[in-house]
Amino acid sequence: MNPLPLLLTLSSLLFVLGLFAVLTRRNAILILVGIELMLNAANINFIAFWRYGSAEADLTGPLFVLFSIAIAAAEAAVGLAIILMVFRHTRSTDLNRLDSLHG
Amino acid sequence: MRVPALIALLMGAFSTLGLAEATRQPLLTGESLPRLPQRLVEMGLQAVKAPDWLVSLGGFATAAATVVGVFLTAFALLSLIERKTLARAQNRLGPNRAGIFGILQPVADGIKMLTKEDIVPTKAEWFLHLLAPVLIVIPSILALGVIPYGREWLPVPLELGLVFFFAVGTMTEVAVFIAGWASGSKFPMLGAMRAISQMISYELPLIISALSVVMLSGTLSLSGIVAAQGGYHLGFIPAWNILTPWGFVAGVVFLIAANAESNRCPFDLPEGESEIVAGHMTEYSGFKYALFFMGEYLGLFAISGLGITLFLGGWQPPLPGLGFVPSWIWFFGKLAVVIFFFLWVRTTFPRIRIDQLMRFAWLCMIPIALLTVPVAALWQYSGKGALSWLLCSAILAIPFIIITVIFNRRLAPSIRQYHFAE
Amino acid sequence: MIPLLILSPLILLAALGAVWKARPVHAALLLALALAMVAVLYLTVGAEFIGLVQFMVYVGGVAILIVFALLITRPGDEAAEVARRPSSLVMGLACVAPVLGMLLYAISKGLPVEAAEGANPKLPVEALGRELFENSVPAVLAVGVLLTAVLIGAALFAREPANKPEPPASR
Repeated sequence: MNPLPLLLTLSSLLFVLGLFAVLTRRNAILILVGIELMLNAANINFIAFWRYGSAEADLTGPLFVLFSIAIAAAEAAVGLAIILMVFRHTRSTDLNRLDSLHG
Repeated sequence: MRVPALIALLMGAFSTLGLAEATRQPLLTGESLPRLPQRLVEMGLQAVKAPDWLVSLGGFATAAATVVGVFLTAFALLSLIERKTLARAQNRLGPNRAGIFGILQPVADGIKMLTKEDIVPTKAEWFLHLLAPVLIVIPSILALGVIPYGREWLPVPLELGLVFFFAVGTMTEVAVFIAGWASGSKFPMLGAMRAISQMISYELPLIISALSVVMLSGTLSLSGIVAAQGGYHLGFIPAWNILTPWGFVAGVVFLIAANAESNRCPFDLPEGESEIVAGHMTEYSGFKYALFFMGEYLGLFAISGLGITLFLGGWQPPLPGLGFVPSWIWFFGKLAVVIFFFLWVRTTFPRIRIDQLMRFAWLCMIPIALLTVPVAALWQYSGKGALSWLLCSAILAIPFIIITVIFNRRLAPSIRQYHFAE
Repeated sequence: MIPLLILSPLILLAALGAVWKARPVHAALLLALALAMVAVLYLTVGAEFIGLVQFMVYVGGVAILIVFALLITRPGDEAAEVARRPSSLVMGLACVAPVLGMLLYAISKGLPVEAAEGANPKLPVEALGRELFENSVPAVLAVGVLLTAVLIGAALFAREPANKPEPPASR
C-alpha cells in the first residue's frame, strides 16, 4: 500500500501545529520553533513525493530539501540574532510588548 | 581432572574446526579473529534451524557486543594508564595500591562508582537529569560502530559512514545541554554553555579537515577512505594522508579539534576542577558520573579512530613487508600512539581560557582548515612530485605564519594596570 | 509502512508538546526530539544523506541555537504563556482549522494518476553530488553567499554593544 497519504497527512498536521505556534505563542523564540516545524513539514512533503509519488528517477526532491535545510538554518540564525538585539534594547521577548516603533 | 579437561578442550577445538571445514570458511585466521564470536553465534543459530532474520540479528548483536566489550576494557585500561602517565610526568607514582602496579584500580573505581549514593537535587528535573548521561553515552557507542578496525572488521559498513559519525557527534552537544540545564543550578548551567560553545566552535575545523580527505578519496565510506590510502610511494613510504602537505596540516587541525571536542586539556575548561567544579557534571554522583566519564572516553576512542582512519591509513601496515601481522593490530597500535599523544598534551599544556579558545577556533583553526581544501585539490592536479610539495607547503605555511603572528600580537600580555594597589 | 506508522504519531506528539508546553526550554527540547524523529523518518524512507544532514543541521545546529537564545534571554515567566490560554487556543484553532481542512481535502481528492511507488528506492549520494555541482552550481554558490552573509550579519548583530561602562576605580 502506498504510504503517500499517511506522509502527506503527517506533514499537513505538522504544518498546522507550526502555524498554531506562530499564531498563539507569546515568546518570540517559541514562534521561531513554530516556523521550524512548518519548514520541516514542507520538507517531509518533498521527500514523500520523491519516494512514493514519482514514476521516474529524479533527484529534485532531495535537492530541494537540502537547500531548504540550509536556508532554514540561516533564517533561524538571523532571526535569533534579531531577537537578541531587541531583547537587549527592551529587556523582554514578549511580542505583545513590542508594539511601538519608538524605541 | 586435568586429563579429561584437556581431552574435552581438544575435542571442542577439533569439532569447531570440523564445523569450519564443513562450511568451507576459514574460521580462525589472524584477520578474522575479532569476527570469531559473531561467526560462532551465527553457526550456532543456524545449527538450531533459527529463521534467517534471527541469525543475522544474533550475529549483528554479537558483533556489536564484541566492539563494545573491547572498548569498555580499553576504557578501563585507559583510565589507569592515564593516571599513571600523568603521575610519571609529574614525577610521582600513580595508583599502585589496588593490585600489582595498580592494575585493579579500574575495578576499584567501578565498585566505588556503583555503590555511591545517587543524589538528585531538589531543583533538578529528575527525568532529564536521568536522561542526560544515557544520551551522552549513546553517540559514542554509535560512532564506534562505523570505524574500520581491520581488513575484515567493520561492525556496520555504511556508505555514508563519515556523515553518520558527525551526525551522532552533534547528539553529544544536546546531551551536554540537557545535563547542564536539568541540574538546576548555576555551575552546571555555566559549564554547559561553555561546553556547547566550545564543541560547536571546534566542530567546524573537524569537519572541514575531513572534507579535504573525502575530496581526494572520492568516497564518504570509511572503508573506502582506508582503501584509498593503500600502496606505497618509492617502495617503502606509505601513502597515508598525513604524509602529504595538506594532509599533515589537516591532520594536526583534526587532532587539535578532536582534543577540544572531547573536552580534554588544554580545552577542558567546561570540566576543569579548579574553575567550575565539574561543569555540567557537577550535580551527578555515582553511576551517572561514571556514565559521563565513559561517554567522554569512548568518544575519545571514536574520534581517535576516525582520525586514524582519515589520516593515518586506518589498518594499513606502515611497511610493505609487514602484511602478515593482522590489520587490527596495526589499528590498535596506532590508536595507542594517538591516545598517548593526547595524554602527553594533557600533561604539558595549561588550560586555555574561554575567550582564547573561541578566538583560536574562529580566527586560527577555521582559516587554516579552509585552506587545506584548495591545497588538496592543487596537490592532486599538479602531480605529486617535489614541485607540488614545495608549492603546497608554501601556500599552507605563509598564511599560517601571518595568522599566528597577527594572533600573537593581539594577545600579547600588555603592561598590567593596577587599579586598587600601588 | 510499519516504521512510518510508528514514527508519525510520535512526531506529532513531540510537535504538540513543542507548541503547547508553557516552559520554553521544554518546548525547545521537544522540538529537538521532533526534528530528530523526522531525521529518522528520512532514514527509513531511503533518503539517508538527507536524514543525516537534517540531524546534523537541525538537531545539532538550530535546536542548540534556540536553546542558547533561551538561556541568554531567560524567559522565566511562564505565567504569560499560561495566561494566554484558553482565549488564544480558541482563536488559534479558529485560524488554523480552515488551513487544515483545505490540506486534508486536497489529500483526500486523490493522488495524481501517475503516482507510483518504487521509482526512487534509495538516494545515491554520488548522483546527488553530481546534480548539485554540475547542474545547480548557481544555486549552490548563492546559498554559499547567503550563509556567509548570515554568518557575518548574525555575528555583528549579536555582538556586545561597543560602549561598555567604565571599570570602577579608574584613575
